[in-house]
Amino acid sequence: MSVPSSRKITQILRAELDKLVTLPLTWLTLIVTFILNLLLAAAFTSAGLQGAAGTQSILKIGLASMGYLQAGFIILGILATCSEYTGGQIRTTLTTVPWRGLQLSTKYLALAIITIPAAFIIAASGVLYAFIRMRDTAVVIEIDTMIKTLVGATGYLTLTTLLSAAIGALLRRTTPAIVVLLSYYFIVSPLSRDFLPSIKNYFPDTAGYYMYMPPSSDEINVLTPMQGTGISMLWTLIFITVAIVFYRKRDA
Amino acid sequence: MLTINNLVKHRGNQEILSGISFKARPGRVTGFLGPNGAGKSSTLRILLGLDRATSGSALINGKPFAELHNPLATVGAALDGFGAHRMRTGRAHLRWIARAAGLSRSRVEEVLEIVGLTNAAGKRVGNYSLGMGRRLGIAAALLGDPKILVLDEPVNGLDPEGIRWIRTFLRERAQSGNTVLLSSHLMGELAETVDDVVIIKHGKIVADGTLEEVTGNHHTLEDAFFALTSEHTGDVV
Repeated sequence: MSVPSSRKITQILRAELDKLVTLPLTWLTLIVTFILNLLLAAAFTSAGLQGAAGTQSILKIGLASMGYLQAGFIILGILATCSEYTGGQIRTTLTTVPWRGLQLSTKYLALAIITIPAAFIIAASGVLYAFIRMRDTAVVIEIDTMIKTLVGATGYLTLTTLLSAAIGALLRRTTPAIVVLLSYYFIVSPLSRDFLPSIKNYFPDTAGYYMYMPPSSDEINVLTPMQGTGISMLWTLIFITVAIVFYRKRDA
Repeated sequence: MLTINNLVKHRGNQEILSGISFKARPGRVTGFLGPNGAGKSSTLRILLGLDRATSGSALINGKPFAELHNPLATVGAALDGFGAHRMRTGRAHLRWIARAAGLSRSRVEEVLEIVGLTNAAGKRVGNYSLGMGRRLGIAAALLGDPKILVLDEPVNGLDPEGIRWIRTFLRERAQSGNTVLLSSHLMGELAETVDDVVIIKHGKIVADGTLEEVTGNHHTLEDAFFALTSEHTGDVV
């Protein structure tokens, strides 16, 4: 197989970015996620204000919607890979860029380039909203704690998006991929936490939770943020690798 | 030059292609004919690196598709369907392809002009008619100005004007030394376009030769086709 030059790789990456930004569904997903997250942040903030004001953590309330917010990023990841299979676009992709491993890898990279700023803005908007509403009543938070937490949340959402894109590439169809992933994140994982307490911290979502969970005195942190990041990354890398192996072997 | 050599493809327990061989030569339009399900698309998909052959080879200038240094500038391909996401505009579709192959945006406008889609380029592909979708596919195939064209059922869905346009267009491409391989199940449309004919039935080649050789004693290519693809398989010409 001929090895494409770095100039070619840049061209392929820019083409993958083009594909993502010219797909209206990408923007629709991000905008809807942004708006719903703000609505949820407003609801959690109101609940927080009515509760034990003064001891609430702005970060905790601002990021309370993360569990729901991740659904938008799961859908974004699935759309990125499954949209190839709409209208037979995959045939155009592979006759233009027949180096499959490279093509799918650059797609993940392009997706990360778009997801990282989007995830940071969306996660930060929730925290900012909580901060504006609660700054008089809540405990003061240090700026570096806030930045660390937001970076963790951005990392978690990006890894979740990439993992979802890998599942999308394996299943190739949008609806089954959405059903599988949302069922896992919203039904299977929450239920299994009660049944499998010993290994629950090693699932991609529960491990990822430690990436952004604000330190709290009443909870026993089983994983450090670094451990959570490592386990989440490992899951994402495993799924990406499996997706690339299948993508290279299967008929398109 | 396209060289298909002893190509075998199994899907599950089914044998889709049973060791087919043929060539498509430069300067000629080669018609790859056969009834639906005969194995035409499977052959073209293997040739374009989309599917894997069980055994045998399909080579472009002596190389498998994935080993081409600059695929878009070597082979232009338009397979069935539009090959484009229906929510993107025609122009955006061509632009990402051009970007991937390092071609300019002005080349996108040129091919839109060639296929007559300039006015519809800003529309979403989902709003295109079948004929417009075919034109978009051909525009994508022409982007890299390749010496080889591989078209699956190119006249399918085109109106009479479109069929006439593609016929003239393919003849011109071949006359300037390019290789054109097109598949079809429409005999009448093809007889006036092709130089060489390969007929496939149930995954086997039943005729391979010039238009005159394959037509033989029959009145038309269509008659020859039905004689070769009906119950009696016939020998390779």
